[in-house]
Amino acid sequence: MKKRSLWKTLILFAVLGIISLFFLIPLIWVVASALRPASPLYEYANPLTWKSFIPTKPTLENFVHIFVNLNFGRAIMNSLFVSVSTIVLTVLVASMAGFALAKFEFRGKAALFTIVLITFMVPFESIVIPLYILIKQLHIDNTYWALILPGVANGLAIFLFRQFFSEVPSEIMEAARIDGASWFRIYWRIVLPLSVPAIVTVIVMVFMFQWNSLFWPLVATHSSRFEVVQVAIAVHRSTENTSWANLFSSAIAGSLPPVILFLFLQKYFVRGISGTGLKG
Amino acid sequence: MRKLLLVIVLLLGVMLSATTIEVLWMGWPQDQVMQLVNAFREETGIDVDIQLVPFGQLFQTIEVRLAAGDGTPDVYIVDGPNTASYAARGYLLPLNEHFSDEEMSAWFDASIEEGSFLGTFYSVPYGTSSAGIFYNKAIFEEYGVPFLPETVEERLTWEEVAEIAKKLTKDTNGDGRTDIWGLVIEQIDRPYLIFPMVQSLGAKVLSDDGLVSQGYITSDEFIEGTTFYWKLFNEWKVSPQGLNDSAISREYFGTGRAAMMLGNEWNIRRMLQYPDIDYGLSPFPYFEGGVAVTPTGSWHVGINSKTRKLEEALTFTKYITGKEAVITWHKLNGIAPARSDVYEALPEVFDNPIWQLFVKEMETTAAPRPRTPGYSQYELMLREAFNSIHYGADPRSTLEEVAVRIDRELRKYR
Amino acid sequence: MFRNNKVAWLFVLPALTFLLVFKIWPIGVSVIESLTMTSFTGTKSFVGFENYEYLFKHDPVFWKSFSVTLFYSIIANPLIVLTSLLMALLLNSSHFFTKFFRTVFFLPAAISFAVVSVIWMIVLDPYNGLANSFLTMFGFKPQPFFASPDQALWVLILLNVWRSSGYWMMYFLAGLQNIPETLYEAAEIDGASTLKKTFRITLPLLTRTISFVLVANTAFNFLSFAPVYIITKGGPMGSTNLLMYESYKSAFVNLDMGRASAITTILLGIILVFSFFELRFTRARFEY
Repeated sequence: MKKRSLWKTLILFAVLGIISLFFLIPLIWVVASALRPASPLYEYANPLTWKSFIPTKPTLENFVHIFVNLNFGRAIMNSLFVSVSTIVLTVLVASMAGFALAKFEFRGKAALFTIVLITFMVPFESIVIPLYILIKQLHIDNTYWALILPGVANGLAIFLFRQFFSEVPSEIMEAARIDGASWFRIYWRIVLPLSVPAIVTVIVMVFMFQWNSLFWPLVATHSSRFEVVQVAIAVHRSTENTSWANLFSSAIAGSLPPVILFLFLQKYFVRGISGTGLKG
Repeated sequence: MRKLLLVIVLLLGVMLSATTIEVLWMGWPQDQVMQLVNAFREETGIDVDIQLVPFGQLFQTIEVRLAAGDGTPDVYIVDGPNTASYAARGYLLPLNEHFSDEEMSAWFDASIEEGSFLGTFYSVPYGTSSAGIFYNKAIFEEYGVPFLPETVEERLTWEEVAEIAKKLTKDTNGDGRTDIWGLVIEQIDRPYLIFPMVQSLGAKVLSDDGLVSQGYITSDEFIEGTTFYWKLFNEWKVSPQGLNDSAISREYFGTGRAAMMLGNEWNIRRMLQYPDIDYGLSPFPYFEGGVAVTPTGSWHVGINSKTRKLEEALTFTKYITGKEAVITWHKLNGIAPARSDVYEALPEVFDNPIWQLFVKEMETTAAPRPRTPGYSQYELMLREAFNSIHYGADPRSTLEEVAVRIDRELRKYR
Repeated sequence: MFRNNKVAWLFVLPALTFLLVFKIWPIGVSVIESLTMTSFTGTKSFVGFENYEYLFKHDPVFWKSFSVTLFYSIIANPLIVLTSLLMALLLNSSHFFTKFFRTVFFLPAAISFAVVSVIWMIVLDPYNGLANSFLTMFGFKPQPFFASPDQALWVLILLNVWRSSGYWMMYFLAGLQNIPETLYEAAEIDGASTLKKTFRITLPLLTRTISFVLVANTAFNFLSFAPVYIITKGGPMGSTNLLMYESYKSAFVNLDMGRASAITTILLGIILVFSFFELRFTRARFEY
């Protein structure tokens, strides 16, 4: 791979650069709009000039407004707390199940796997009413638990762990069994450390799921102290009054945590020992 | 240790003495809503746990919360036309015995009507609305078209509006694309703005019992009015297709990309965001030979029929819809008050000729949307029909088809 | 594969509890709901398969919506999987630039949909949008995009690619880390080209990840309807009226839970069938 000639690399980056424009241009335009004082939007959409993408007098006033007057910081903290709690529980619970599904033969396995698949094939909208009634009966409505616990029931994460754990060579585990290690120790000390990319992926998956949730937090909690990020963003849009400045600045501020997380976790996309040549 | 105990006792005391009511509210800006809520808390000692729900999720959130049937939220915001639906399902507390005739007389008749179902008063008017034709004076001047009349006596006909719109639909740079549209409709497919058109021709939009649409939305008058609407987009091409978002329609008008906008009273406030625009307001048009009808209706406040905090819920509802709070709310948000005493109390705002025109319409020509327990499904299906028609679908066959579907949905309320 | 019923079930138990309580139970309620009819006062009556029968035989919009949904998924699913796979293959190194591009591709997934919808409505505004400004700048004809029954669904697919490719790329990147470096080294000694290595080594060893992304993406495509709800409302002329949007309208506007649940149950069936073939196709059958 390292011997790839320079011009090939250059062409590749040129192509990628052009593709990334498709991804970036709408976003740059939004960032530029958020950095302008509240102003008519279409002034900067047509005709197209450099001013569409670079604000002439950039200001942070829109961001100051949402944090100082509209409690956006509280919404960020709420969503962070819910996301992180869900991540911790999900990684633990789902990886254990994924381990069993990947490495064990047991009665009812096929049925269990089907259940796991079904759980992410039904839209949230169709289970929201029974789920709401359930959390009321459990007396956890209007608490953080109502936001966290249903998020832990994540079939997709189990499915992902199962796929990745299947690649971990069984020979290592057999050797450990012969040395007298318990199954939990094997899972904790061998399987998990060998599956960093999978864990990282599930972390991002669960984070994005909780970070982007909008409808369930509205139903499950009703006190403003539980307001989450997506709610705090979406309130700026309505028939009678849409505030572009608030909408764009809150959306940009609200997209930073997932982007930072992704940037930070990228470095863990490295080969584990499973990538050394043993085949499971 | 003693101090700690004291604090605990104090805290408990506070928690027990202050009753908290749960309120589900429209997602208006937090800094505005909380001013009213805090004032209420100080005045009454009742705590309010208020949830601000974004407009896009509001109605489904209400549905799920009410479906649980445990008496929460105690108070919730009601879109006027949904009153019948909630009332028919027993979600709203009948309010006749809690409001005196004197209290009731403060609100416009059309608003009381919108808050009632089968003669019972269920939801208290919080705001109201009206609409008319906003026009951009600079564009009219530039193309030598005389300004529109601004009194109800000189109300334009739709035929006249169409002629003016044709004159003002312009391709300014000659690239074959329209740069200035003659007429933009703020809420492009909502019955709210389209019903008054067909009602002007004498069409009834639903049977008296609110359960049959066939024969009403398929009547000749209804189709004639809808055909006019179809021509705006498809024959004369004076209105742009696909402007599905009212905020974007306002952008078009506010930045000089449309000469006229059929829009709501809230634009008096919204247009302040566009410093360059100099606009006037002409009353909602009618069809030649027809009568003048204008849209109305807005947010109401309802009390959960199963609330366990009736007294507090009632106190809150009366407070938030009362004169003082509505005055504050108008100053903060600019919503049109549903109480005539607020208009009298704020002459510095409402003496403005544009507001005067709207107030006159609310008192005389305003017709609320039809009252039916199936309003939301009726409206949604009609919106889809209007949406197709504005894209060019044949009005008659589209309406005939949708009438069958609407009536199937309405059958369950018999 | 190890055989130990007790240990296996102990490992599965916590997850199973969560799934049963917060997913399977409400899903069960919903499926049963599809066999009932609710009157407007809230009383339910059991009607057997009447809701399904009505959908299949009489419902005026079901079949049109069904074909729109199928078309949407059949185009969007492979397109997204291919795009994200390609991205991951190109960006599977720890060069500074590749990290930059990865983040750029991931960005759209991180932004609130309330804003994504606004961005695209304005970018694709037929009369004053950025996209048409670009097209005319390069001498092309302006396009109607969401305002055209022929284009709206395609634009929706493109929006989906824009929004989710970077997200699925992440799964492929993770999967690529499981492929042993030594295999590539061996192939290089044999003088294999990059293309050959990709087809001989990378793709075969990536099948488990590919099957995961295929199945998950299929479910996502069939179930998501936010862009339809916010941008097109199913139009123009029903050209973007996805089944999930029909179900949503039935549930929360028409208050017809029976029809809503019947539609989502049908969707579940379709997704299961697709997933079965996808798992078959990628040979990642679950080993008994």
